[in-house]
Amino acid sequence: MNWHKYNILPSLLFFVVWELFSRVNGTAKFFNPNFLPAPTLLLSEGWELAKTGMITDSIVSSTIRILLGFVIGSIVAVGLGVVMSKFRTAERWFSPILNLVGPIPALALLPLFIIWFGIGEFPKVLLIAWTTFIPVLVYTLDGFKSVPSTLIRSALSLGASERQIFTRVMLPSAVPNFLVGAQVSLGLSFSALIVSEMMGAQSGLGYMIVDARNYFKITNMFVAIILIGLEYSFLSSLLKLVERRVVVWRKGGLRDAIEK
Amino acid sequence: MKLEVRQVGKSFGSRTILKHVDLTVHSHEFICILGHSGCGKSTLLNMIAGYLLPDDGSITVDGEAVKGPSKSRGMVFQDHALFPWMTVLDNISFGPEVQKMPKAQAKETAKEFLKLVGLEAYASHYPGELSGGMKQRVGIARALASRPDILLMDEPFGALDVLTRETMRVELQKICSRLKPTILFVTHSISEAVYLADRVVVMKHGEIARIFEVGIKHPRTSQSAGFGEMMSRIERVLMDEDHLELAPAKAGL
Repeated sequence: MNWHKYNILPSLLFFVVWELFSRVNGTAKFFNPNFLPAPTLLLSEGWELAKTGMITDSIVSSTIRILLGFVIGSIVAVGLGVVMSKFRTAERWFSPILNLVGPIPALALLPLFIIWFGIGEFPKVLLIAWTTFIPVLVYTLDGFKSVPSTLIRSALSLGASERQIFTRVMLPSAVPNFLVGAQVSLGLSFSALIVSEMMGAQSGLGYMIVDARNYFKITNMFVAIILIGLEYSFLSSLLKLVERRVVVWRKGGLRDAIEK
Repeated sequence: MKLEVRQVGKSFGSRTILKHVDLTVHSHEFICILGHSGCGKSTLLNMIAGYLLPDDGSITVDGEAVKGPSKSRGMVFQDHALFPWMTVLDNISFGPEVQKMPKAQAKETAKEFLKLVGLEAYASHYPGELSGGMKQRVGIARALASRPDILLMDEPFGALDVLTRETMRVELQKICSRLKPTILFVTHSISEAVYLADRVVVMKHGEIARIFEVGIKHPRTSQSAGFGEMMSRIERVLMDEDHLELAPAKAGL
């Protein structure tokens, strides 16, 4: 196995130290041992929980929500980005409004969304879509605007129509920017996901935490927290994988600047 | 094909870039536009390409006014302007493809032109993986693959090192002797112009100062009869008053 590629030693050490500390605390009682259960205990409790099917249900419903919200938010953002980069009037009208509502933290909108749309799936997906929408729009728009003019000129001189310029030059040229926006929005929309599941949901990773709190099952709370971390890592690496596939042509950065 | 530039003028704001430019280009001619930076040569080329529109006068191809960019006027840029997300082959087949040529046929055409510039081995590479000279060869192949009536080249070798420049010059000359295209080539290198051109158009301060017929048989070298003489004749036109103009400016300071 390639140890440099899978750098798991630090995380392993983290859990070992945690385990040791919890065990010592179990006898020494610096504080209530229930507050910080050992990882091995979490593992066995988590296994019990998994057998009830709750973990799979939570992961599946959280993943569906975030993917749905992410895709909807991205599509709307790219669509509006297209319109705004194409028509100056659209940009004149939309950008002040976006500057006004863009900085509002999505979480501040959540109670309002619940009052408007209830506690079903719709307000949660909408919230995630909204948190995806703003960064993706900003970055994609920047991508459209920074397409080198010589690329557009050469496409025109090669006989491309305006439409072909758009689909074959502008869009692919903005893909790296779109991916940066997606990376930024993933963090934001993930926290929106968890919080919206903590406020009026019947399933999901955020719901697991609330459920555990209600029954004072600290182990379950820890299991949920760890799963949230894992889910985020999974989504983030999925996005990185997509990025590596899509922008193979991109060179640069420190890694390409010098050999080590 | 006949390109006619008649009494063309262009200003950006209060700055006059070009005034009263007259030029006629016939089929299979290789014309170099030579001048200092800022003399308006690139602006003229951009107007012929259709990226910019003249303020005065007219630019016509076979009697029809140039109203915008067209596939009949191909362009090679100094920064090569290759699409970085496409492979070398896809870059070259872009022109034929957007002009509705069937995909397989477009790829075949692209391969042909890739062979012409001697880069068959790099078909599936991305532009980022190529050297400057190779990128520019791909740029030339891409422009040629859409079969333009006239090829416009805006200081295509300007960003290359001296050695690569020399080889590119020879290669371009070879391509020309094979395909006989019509080329309008902007440069600030006198030797490059004398090496390549049938006619050298010397521009100064937004006007055509003089047009030289080179008339040396191809392939030329700097040792060809008349090469050095032609260079010094051009240099005299290009350089003279500049010294005179600098002097009062300095005195003014």
